[in-house]
Amino acid sequence: MGMKQTLDVLNRMETDRIIRRYAIGGAVGAYNYIEPAVTEDLDILVSFDSNPGQIPPGLISLSPVYDYLRGEGYTEFRKEGLVVEGWAVQFLPVASDLDAEALAQAEEVEIRIDPTVGSVRTRVLRAEHLVATALRVNRPRDRIRIMQFLDEQAVDTDALCDVLARHGLKDAWKAFCARTGIADPCEVASNP
Amino acid sequence: MKQGTTTIYPDVSDILARKAEGRREIAARSFGEKIAMVERLRERLAPFKRAREQRREAKSPGAAPDPRR
Repeated sequence: MGMKQTLDVLNRMETDRIIRRYAIGGAVGAYNYIEPAVTEDLDILVSFDSNPGQIPPGLISLSPVYDYLRGEGYTEFRKEGLVVEGWAVQFLPVASDLDAEALAQAEEVEIRIDPTVGSVRTRVLRAEHLVATALRVNRPRDRIRIMQFLDEQAVDTDALCDVLARHGLKDAWKAFCARTGIADPCEVASNP
Repeated sequence: MKQGTTTIYPDVSDILARKAEGRREIAARSFGEKIAMVERLRERLAPFKRAREQRREAKSPGAAPDPRR
């Protein structure tokens, strides 16, 4: 039981067309770039094949996901997540242009967690999308994560500023920079 | 009334520098190594988490779980 097995289940869901595409976001996604922080949750950004006539447009039902996983024996909920092989998996349907872009551009990675059980392929959101999403959610832990990305120089500033501008997050970013007392790297980049 | 004594604190800059180096070393590990590390940490932290939940439960029996947990 562990992340390798959790990701195996998610990959099977994609193969079985329960979900169209998924990528790891949130705290675990950030592990790909920065010092990890302990978390119980695995945030999964997910898209679905459109199913005309089943539910009204604009509404997403996670029932097929939960039905599938219940059939596989996963029934325990912890907080908002369904526990799959020890990780509370929270499925977050694409709900904005930022989410759609983040999922489309997610990085394909092959990870080896335990040498005895082999590697697993998965996708992780890019650093600039993780930071932009953290800014949008904007809880204290999200702000700490953004600071880590900046402090560890783990995000491409130009790419980040581009994402922030295209998704209407410039004002939120300016407010974040003012609140944390850092020089706005997007201002610096545009006014050399 | 406080006399003119000066408290001398030890210099901990080398300790802080080593901690920063440790953080950089951890941040530079592979994605898989970090996940494995967190999974081991979660196991080691589980007794503390259970104790915290029991304290909360003892404080307010029957209350809904704290959503921030």
